[in-house]
Amino acid sequence: MKRLIFILCFALGASAATWPKRIEKKLDNGLTVVLVPMPNVPKITADLIFLTRNGATAQLAARVANEGTATRTSKELKDELRAIGGQLSIAADRDATTINASSLSEHAPKLFELVSDVAQHASFPKEEVDLAKQNLAGEIEEQRSVPDFLANERLEKALFGSHPYGFVVPDAKQIAAATREQLRAFAAANYVPNNATLIIVGDLEPDAALSEVRKAFGSWKKGTLVKGELPALPKRDKRQIYFINRPGSVQSVITMGTTAPPRKSADYLALRTADAIAGGAFMSRLNHNLREAKGYTYGAQSAAILWRSAGQVTANASVRNEVTGPALLEMLYELDRMRVSPVTKEELDAAKTFSTGNLSLEMETQRGAANRIATIYTYQLPPDFLETFNDKLAALTVEDIQRAAAKYFDTYRSAIVIVGDWAAVKDQVIPFGDVTLY
Amino acid sequence: MRNTLLAIAWFAAAAVANGKPLDIPVTYYRLPNGLKVVVSEAHAAPAVTVAVYYGVGFRVEPKGRTGFAHLFEHMMFQGSANVKKEEHARMVETNGGNFNGSTNLDYTNYYETLPSDRVEKALWLEADRMRSLDVSPENLKNQQAVVSEEIRVNVLNQPYALFEWLDLWQNANQNWANAHNFYGDLTDLEAAKVEDVRDFFRTYYAPNNAVLAIVGDVDTGNVRQLVDKYFADIPLQSVPEHADVSEPRQTKEKRVKQTDKLANLPALAIGYHLPPMDSPDYAPIALLSLILQGDDGSRLYQRLVKDKALALDWSGGINSTLGNEFDYDGPMLITSRTTYKPGHSGDEIVKEVDAVLADVREHGVTKRELANAKTQLRSNLYDQLESSNGRAHILATLALFHDNPAGVNKLLEPFEQVTQEQVQAAAKRWLVPENRTIIDRVPAEVTK
Repeated sequence: MKRLIFILCFALGASAATWPKRIEKKLDNGLTVVLVPMPNVPKITADLIFLTRNGATAQLAARVANEGTATRTSKELKDELRAIGGQLSIAADRDATTINASSLSEHAPKLFELVSDVAQHASFPKEEVDLAKQNLAGEIEEQRSVPDFLANERLEKALFGSHPYGFVVPDAKQIAAATREQLRAFAAANYVPNNATLIIVGDLEPDAALSEVRKAFGSWKKGTLVKGELPALPKRDKRQIYFINRPGSVQSVITMGTTAPPRKSADYLALRTADAIAGGAFMSRLNHNLREAKGYTYGAQSAAILWRSAGQVTANASVRNEVTGPALLEMLYELDRMRVSPVTKEELDAAKTFSTGNLSLEMETQRGAANRIATIYTYQLPPDFLETFNDKLAALTVEDIQRAAAKYFDTYRSAIVIVGDWAAVKDQVIPFGDVTLY
Repeated sequence: MRNTLLAIAWFAAAAVANGKPLDIPVTYYRLPNGLKVVVSEAHAAPAVTVAVYYGVGFRVEPKGRTGFAHLFEHMMFQGSANVKKEEHARMVETNGGNFNGSTNLDYTNYYETLPSDRVEKALWLEADRMRSLDVSPENLKNQQAVVSEEIRVNVLNQPYALFEWLDLWQNANQNWANAHNFYGDLTDLEAAKVEDVRDFFRTYYAPNNAVLAIVGDVDTGNVRQLVDKYFADIPLQSVPEHADVSEPRQTKEKRVKQTDKLANLPALAIGYHLPPMDSPDYAPIALLSLILQGDDGSRLYQRLVKDKALALDWSGGINSTLGNEFDYDGPMLITSRTTYKPGHSGDEIVKEVDAVLADVREHGVTKRELANAKTQLRSNLYDQLESSNGRAHILATLALFHDNPAGVNKLLEPFEQVTQEQVQAAAKRWLVPENRTIIDRVPAEVTK
């Protein structure tokens, strides 16, 4: 009897997903502040997100911004972070430059002070800029020995061309040409409150946290935002293979893809679900076929990743040289099958429960919740994205999935990138299309 | 319902934030068949992790069968009496969860994290494979291929080939248990037979050699009933005595030079043998590790990457490739890894490391550095305790190695007591050249 009651109680709990409470405020200077109480551990996470366009300047500015402010040297900043059990890092990606910071929650006011200092008063000391340029160039050289980096870089260039999403890392000339003044100007133009969202998740009491946020960020001056037009995405009218020769490779690293719409597109949920069926989960078709049935790879995946102004659908697997051709055949087959035949009702239902469950599990950690909530702001999603997710997913039909797949799993106009030993595998690759060799 | 849950969680966390000791609820008991069971309620999120930790890892895999413990881990996903191949993954994922397994030095673990109302499904899955693993020649052949590809993707086709872990351990240690290739030689993996897999299962995958941890938004009474229902009648087995995995004290520095056909830049790894966990030097060394290389404010990073600008990066720590300061049971290294700039030599890197360490041995660390390291350790531990899976990991390893998961609440105590003098004394005993192994790995001269 007692057990029955428990089961009933759990079943009720599951039907109504619990999403973290979110409190949103806009300060007078335009800063959007989002507070999310999540007292799972006595820590706090703060992300300050600026919409920026990616490029050499954005990358270098992010690297140097936490290497000194008007009143703190780089070392002082790091020592103060250590004293509060904290960390602070900055990274620029396709749509944004983000300061990721966290600390023990008892030191939240100090954490806000440090984030605010970096955002407002980064001083870009000359010696730090010089060192960052040298080290960035070195890291890129190191990355060029990693096959997955080479594959990803070539794919992004092939898919996005001169659109900012086609930028992965700067070349040597761009790094050499970057100046301290450019970085300062970039920060002054972009690191401004009316271009920013501050997401704070953790062991906090909203009123007290908001008052500390006002203290740290309230006097920050508004900036003038310049809106630039983005170039159009390149159109691809046929399949193209890009082969990067890496002699001595014992595997072919295969990644293939097409462009997709922005995250806010009405197609997003259908495409996301199609991806879960094709290759977004362990049980998916690609992994079943290439790993569990054929033993070609440690793992075959697909990923529909949609950002603010565009997205991509990719599939990838690293396979031993001898099965490069057969693996390509199976990957193309699985992607084509998504367009040509409807998925089963059973597959669709499985993908739905997989997605709703795993979205709720992201809220287990402050970092997971902050990352997911950030997508609502950065990608211009409806504010009730989380709250309506399960219902919208439940409404998707088998036809919706096939429609999305037909639009975006387009193997005939895809870019296929392979990093491997050309001499060892070329005969297996050539039958699949025109090859550009690097 | 929701408000009540939030209120309870807020109260629990608030107690810790005020500087009071950790207060993680732990229910711990043993079933008659020897299975250790840990249940810990955490209601901040509607999630649960079910984890099984078996007391077997790389160190005790059979000689001539390098990589076998890991290959075996893969076989645990290939089916059991009531679960077909691939059904484990499908069942967890269609119930909204995720899962994985991993092989470590002293344990092999399996876990599922799911919405908390699905806890029974996970318990049933874990019990079925503990009771009745099903091994077929076809499935073994398939996973031998998959694991070979895993080794290619993570080791053989990568620059540096995980030398800071695989090669450093093989060079630093003398006992085969610690000095063999943990990921495995491909020829050893291919030689594995179905009988080997069955023997390994019978030998080590016994309830009396395992911990079952259930952590998350569940009711302890309910979970205990389910554990009884699914695990109580799995028969106890005789498990071999602990193998001798001890290491003799190193007396002479070892230097190894390697070349790398896939790397563009030189790299260097250093490993020092550590005192055992129950040594009075252990906590001081663990804190010193954070002072030396905990983050980009640490002494080695500051010296090598910032001041001297010789290295592109600096990382390292205790058990840093596989785990943390708490989750192992045998000889351990504290390691460092760096990619350094072309035009410089490994000796230049070592010279700077020696200068940093000599300064610690001669002058110790500052009061502020030590206080900050204690704060960082606490903050890092909270990170590990945040998700149900991270919490299950700490509790399960404490149960497996120390028979004391409730010790999580006192885990930081030995560190809080550490003095500057103890740090300096420990550095003098352990962070000395004769106790270390260095691998300098440089790009091979190849015509590209």
